[in-house]
Amino acid sequence: MHDAVKTLSTDVLVVGGGGAGLRSAIAATEANPKLKVTLLSKVYPMRSHTVAAEGGAAAVTMAHDSLQAHFDDTVAGSDWLAEQGVVDYFVKHAFDELVQLEHWGCPWSRQQSGEVQVRRFGGMKTERTWFAADKTGFHILHTLFQTSLKYPQISRLDEYFVLDLLVHDRHCYGVVAIEIASGELVQIKAASVILATGGAGRVYQFNTNGGIVTGDGMALAYRHGVALRDMEFVQYHPTGLPGSGILITEACRGEGGILLNKDGYRYLQDYGLGPETPPGQPQNKTMELGPRDKLSQAFWHEQQQGRTIQHPQGEVVHLDLRHLGQRFLLERLPFICELAKAYVNVDPVKSPIPIRPAVHYTMGGILTDTNCATSIAGLYAVGECASVGLHGANRLGSNSLTELLVFGKVAGREAARVASESHPAATEALLSSLTEQALTPLKRLHNSNGTERWHELRQQLAESMEQGCGIYRSEAGLQQTLSTLNQLKQSYQQLRLGDTGKAFNTELLHALELGFGLDVAEAMCQAALERKESRGAHQRQEPGLTKRNDEDFLRHSLAFYQTGSAARIEWQAVDTSLSPPAERRYGGQQQPDNPPKESC
Amino acid sequence: MSRKPYQPPMPASWWLKHPAYRFYMLREATVVPLLFFVASLLYGLYALGQGEASWLHYLAWLQQPWVIALNSLALVASLFHAWTFFALFPQVMPLRFGSRTLPAWLMVSAQWAGVLLVILALWWLLGGVDAHQ
Amino acid sequence: MPTLEMRLQRYRPEQDSAPHWQDFRVEYDDSTSVLDALEQIKAEQDSSLSYRWSCRMAICGSCGIMVNGVPKLGCKTFLRDYPKGLQLAPLGNFPVEKDLIVDMSRFLEHLTAIKPYLIAEAAPQGQPHRQTPAQLARYKQFSNCINCGLCYAACPQFGLKPDFLGPAAIALAHRYNLDSRDSGKAERMAQLNSDNGVWGCTFVGYCSTVCPKGVDPAAAVNQGKIASTLDGVIQWFKPAKEPRNKEQSK
Ligand SMILES: Cc1cc2nc3c(=O)[nH]c(=O)nc-3n(C[C@H](O)[C@H](O)[C@H](O)COP(=O)(O)OP(=O)(O)OC[C@H]3O[C@@H](n4cnc5c(N)ncnc54)[C@H](O)[C@@H]3O)c2cc1C
Ligand code: SF4
Ligand code: FES
Repeated sequence: MHDAVKTLSTDVLVVGGGGAGLRSAIAATEANPKLKVTLLSKVYPMRSHTVAAEGGAAAVTMAHDSLQAHFDDTVAGSDWLAEQGVVDYFVKHAFDELVQLEHWGCPWSRQQSGEVQVRRFGGMKTERTWFAADKTGFHILHTLFQTSLKYPQISRLDEYFVLDLLVHDRHCYGVVAIEIASGELVQIKAASVILATGGAGRVYQFNTNGGIVTGDGMALAYRHGVALRDMEFVQYHPTGLPGSGILITEACRGEGGILLNKDGYRYLQDYGLGPETPPGQPQNKTMELGPRDKLSQAFWHEQQQGRTIQHPQGEVVHLDLRHLGQRFLLERLPFICELAKAYVNVDPVKSPIPIRPAVHYTMGGILTDTNCATSIAGLYAVGECASVGLHGANRLGSNSLTELLVFGKVAGREAARVASESHPAATEALLSSLTEQALTPLKRLHNSNGTERWHELRQQLAESMEQGCGIYRSEAGLQQTLSTLNQLKQSYQQLRLGDTGKAFNTELLHALELGFGLDVAEAMCQAALERKESRGAHQRQEPGLTKRNDEDFLRHSLAFYQTGSAARIEWQAVDTSLSPPAERRYGGQQQPDNPPKESC
Repeated sequence: MSRKPYQPPMPASWWLKHPAYRFYMLREATVVPLLFFVASLLYGLYALGQGEASWLHYLAWLQQPWVIALNSLALVASLFHAWTFFALFPQVMPLRFGSRTLPAWLMVSAQWAGVLLVILALWWLLGGVDAHQ
Repeated sequence: MPTLEMRLQRYRPEQDSAPHWQDFRVEYDDSTSVLDALEQIKAEQDSSLSYRWSCRMAICGSCGIMVNGVPKLGCKTFLRDYPKGLQLAPLGNFPVEKDLIVDMSRFLEHLTAIKPYLIAEAAPQGQPHRQTPAQLARYKQFSNCINCGLCYAACPQFGLKPDFLGPAAIALAHRYNLDSRDSGKAERMAQLNSDNGVWGCTFVGYCSTVCPKGVDPAAAVNQGKIASTLDGVIQWFKPAKEPRNKEQSK
């Protein structure tokens, strides 16, 4: 059916037009303006899910703050599973990158004096989160996209979907993609390839992610033998809207919002996050500003004890913003007011917003070194699809937008460096045989006479992940989900498409995404099964496994793809050279080194 | 080739499709009666230059019902046009004070107040002329 | 659950020579969006139906379509508001690729043409510019455009003359022109002054009515006309071409 394959060639190929992809494309072209840089994405860049980030981006900014403090918060937030050298590099370059974005025109919110304003964020000791009202990701993405238009060297392939990487002998030679509009196949040769394909939250039922966040890049690298690291750590955001899962930003709590159970009680004080702070006077790392994993877990316990509220779309608790007042809400959280009105018909000025936890972020991803390089020569990964080692077992809100920038720059620079050197050229024969292989799944989908439908399989995948690999996990639940995944993979072979056309065949794309998702989900479950302890976002229910166990598990999990059988898990040492593991403390149990609270 | 974009035609009647377009066309159409008004003014000027007979003829012409009707229409049209123009004005020239914009309704009301003032001033002026005679 | 009649415009480029209508019936409740309904149809009734979407929270700008002839975001339009049923068609004024998907490349070209990036003299080394909330407020609204294209579907001038830069592109140019950090206005004026720039607009104003983000592109275009006129007058008095420096923001 797909006979002719078009060929294109470029120097640096960036797969993904989100914050990470755009930042690396710009960095690559700035590193060497003579290179041809191609930015390829399955949606127009400004549709990428970076657009949905609301809260902000972290960097040490205030005089009373310090790099050490940002480092400590990130490492403690990660439950000591972050790579400390990476965190150190990150906190040192964060400020410069946010300034760079300012120089490119990002409309950061300002103080009266004209200086950039920073806000509080969960798990951060001090206010250090830059924001652009409550549309930070939107403004970052559009600023980057618009800035990228300045560089004639960056050409774009909008609405191209990557099917596979061209890898031979641990060397990446490019990708094979579909031009979505026409269904034509293209082989794109590149001296270096950067994967910036975002997270995989869509393998869960209930999530804050856009429809495109399906783990494609993770699966692509994984299938070619690159390890996926720390995949068991999936962040639930404590405040999603019931039904849709649409995110209500953490900034609501940063600005003073409070969480109430069905008795109107601020239940977080019962979960080691107290003492209670007066409403509207939030205190860093305390109560509502505790880290996300703790807050989502507290919801789970409240639900178990019947103290959540019934809502037509499921169990919820209340996020109350009313005491902040209309004027403040419209100025600081306008998007939240709009979302709450549209999607749950609630005016936050007048009533509390019903919320519940929703899958939000994949801490794990494609294993890279500090230069964003994978174990395949010429292949880089950056952003949410990658695991450079910043987030460990739990990401702190507002660290990831900054990560896109700091490491996007690194990835772009490194990919440009490699593309500028001379490198082995692949023979045409090799490339066409690799391309042929890459098209096998596509051919199977087109020629299948099975009876399975992608939609049902995807639904089962999402439900089963929520059931067995959710906020709390157990061996039995994980085994159950793994066996469901196994069945789904069998059924996947029998998938049949209702759409046989070539132009904008979105059913075909969904089917391919489902294939990626199944592999990623399996890596998540297998790693969760073998991590027999509780750390950060990974919580086991079985007796004896409910605590952190540094002796056996102060290690990264590495999942390796095995054709036809479950993922193989290996363990990798963690870099703890700068700060030895200690207990994570929040609320009143914090170390007395807490700086005096700034009032603003 | 699997790509074959279909370009929807833009029929001449496009402006009938939506109230917003019909409103816009109406606004643009106000120019027609106004044209008539301007033409009749010019005719009057010309008649004045031609001597008294011609001027009287012009006055008689003005009093014909259809001319009155058309000129009344022109008055309504110009008021309507002024109304739409005033309503659009805050969009074109927003007045800012610090980080706030003057509310649109205030600007629109101010413009109408201006119109009223001009009318009153004219009234007073013409009334003044009468008193002297 | 109650059900609702939906009439969809279908177009399959490989088979059809022109679009046609097809009827579907969907279940809905108080929170069902048009996008949810499309997903329901794709999942349960006709998997070949194509439409764009991603964020489902009215911020990515993918899901623009015509609902009963009015440009809307599918994810922010609710069935509860159309008890008599609804008709969905691809965004007006754009070429239709398949079903509810249009070719947006013209729109992207127009965006690119107006140089939508900060053109500034040396920025402060390693530090952000200063920009007061009042300076930010001058352009903020115009920076909220999600590139959904609804305003192009609302603009008869764009329909009649696709070379017209159109509401969103001009609003974006205006956004940068108003930014206290920018000094690239002179470079953008060439585009804005042309027939396909601000003067292509006859102030129908419907673009601002349909904009889901309160950008008010009509305001930008017509403020642009004033800027363009002033620019013309200045050029008249100052024929020698020299870059005009904008005063640095304090
Ligand atoms: C609702 C929400 C709010 C958030 N808020 C914050 C916040 O306040 N602060 C913070 O720091 N972080 C926040 N995050 C996290 C952060 O926004 C994301 O981690 C980050 O934006 C991911 O960026 P990315 O560039 O890696 O990927 P994305 O922006 O998701 O982009 C992925 C790109 O890859 C492309 N792509 C994927 N697969 C393929 C394929 N097969 N072929 C071709 N192209 C492909 C897509 O088209 C897209 O362009 C939030 C996340 C969500 C979901
Ligand atoms: S101006 Fe409004 S309608 Fe037009 S593209 Fe931007 S957000 Fe959409
Ligand atoms: S799906 Fe993103 S705007 Fe509607």
